[in-house]
Amino acid sequence: MSTDTEFAPASVAGERGGIAPPVLEQLAEIAMLIGSARDAMSDEMVTRLARAISEGATLLDRLTRNEGLLQLLRVLERPEGQHLLIGLSKALALMDRQVAAAPPSSGGIAGLWKLAREPGAQDAIRLLSILSQCWVESMRDAR
Amino acid sequence: MQILIVGGGTGGTILGNSLARRLASEIRAGKVRITLLSASDKHMYQPGLLYVAFGQMTPDQLYRDEASLLESSIDFHVDPVTEFHLDRNEVKTGSGKTYAYDLLVIATGARIVPQEVPGMAEGSENFYTEEGALRLHKRLMEFRGGTVAMVVSLPHKCPVAPIEAMFLLHDFFKARNIRDKVKLQYNYPVNHVHATANVARWAKPEFDKAGIEYETLFNVREVDPVKKIVYSEEGTECKYDLLIAIPPHRGMEMVETNNLGLGGWIPTDRFKLTMNDHDNVYVIGDATNIPVSKTGSAAHFEAEVASDNIVSVIKTGVPVREYDGRVYCFIEAGFDRATHNAFDYINLPELKPPTKSVHWFKVAYNQMYWSTVRGLL
Repeated sequence: MSTDTEFAPASVAGERGGIAPPVLEQLAEIAMLIGSARDAMSDEMVTRLARAISEGATLLDRLTRNEGLLQLLRVLERPEGQHLLIGLSKALALMDRQVAAAPPSSGGIAGLWKLAREPGAQDAIRLLSILSQCWVESMRDAR
Repeated sequence: MQILIVGGGTGGTILGNSLARRLASEIRAGKVRITLLSASDKHMYQPGLLYVAFGQMTPDQLYRDEASLLESSIDFHVDPVTEFHLDRNEVKTGSGKTYAYDLLVIATGARIVPQEVPGMAEGSENFYTEEGALRLHKRLMEFRGGTVAMVVSLPHKCPVAPIEAMFLLHDFFKARNIRDKVKLQYNYPVNHVHATANVARWAKPEFDKAGIEYETLFNVREVDPVKKIVYSEEGTECKYDLLIAIPPHRGMEMVETNNLGLGGWIPTDRFKLTMNDHDNVYVIGDATNIPVSKTGSAAHFEAEVASDNIVSVIKTGVPVREYDGRVYCFIEAGFDRATHNAFDYINLPELKPPTKSVHWFKVAYNQMYWSTVRGLL
């Protein structure tokens, strides 16, 4: 339960002859909190924190001045880019499960032939082929 | 435009990075090329040596690969310069190569020469090299009681370092519970406890409070390591059990051998930061003879001015500003208190009472330094 005095602004209370006791208590509490935080800190903590900030700032600086990474970020920001990332992350999880469950491959030409006949493998080769073609074209454009 | 920076310390590295960032398009277009020559592939955070002496940092924390601190567009070589041919705009290096330049920056720093005072090298410890700081730390850890004396030669790197060392000694022995068995004796060459009057005014009562004894007008003439006495030019002497010396400093040897400046200090225009009679040669950091502290902070601010002017000259044909003598340094007043010192050619420092917050600012800066030399702060 509060009283009017407790909610009186400091300036009003001041007119009556000083800062109201609850305000003083709050200030004392804040001072105690700061003092407590100060006592809890050590040189080692400040060092670690400053190192993290310093290295973080350096990393951020490098990333934000890297045109390649910024372009990648711009591509990934588009909805289709985000779908690509979601698809990739789902594919990685599925691949992890399938690889863990699949028996070791038998190897040899016969094994390769069997793999090549699977529609999924053909899709994968086509995808890699398209990616390579686009990549080579953009590298030529850049020169 | 070929810009050649000689020296990979604080000044050279900050300047190189600043130029590389601000002239990035000119570098890409092949109009500007920046080359930095250094004597070492490592970059040392020199102020950390004081902390090594007191066991608060280890030497490995003081080093980074210089290449990792430089912008990738800077052509960096570990190949110390041996000859300056300013009349031909060329330098020759230890590997025998010749580097031509349109614009030269000399940021070669300073070195200690304790051998110039008889007995000092054998009879004293210092914290100006990694080996020296480690040896001093070992001596301090083994010290059981007696007189620890300090003697100071001028000029030297980081003018407040001797005062900081005295306060750290006080707290170090207090922490070891032997402060009452140790006499701390500070000897300084001018008639105050520090060459800067306002620093002296602040430090003297702090010394009194900590029970640190001092003698002024004490210019070291000779150290007798056997009798453990240091003699002054003024005819006084100081007995010691452990002597910490701030040794005499000089500019780098190749600066002296190439007759670029007396004592290795290169005559430099204190506003333009160009070498006297050589407008295409900038000099920054400890290598100059300008009347400011030999500190990383001065090198930093000088590098910023030199960078502004070099960039402006390249882009507009005229320089843009002058160096105002700005310096900022922290002063550790013990293990958990510090104050700071900021001044320029006109304004004198006004020191505030030391606080824990400023000490933490310094502790943080010891890490932030690496961002500073990369040109981020």
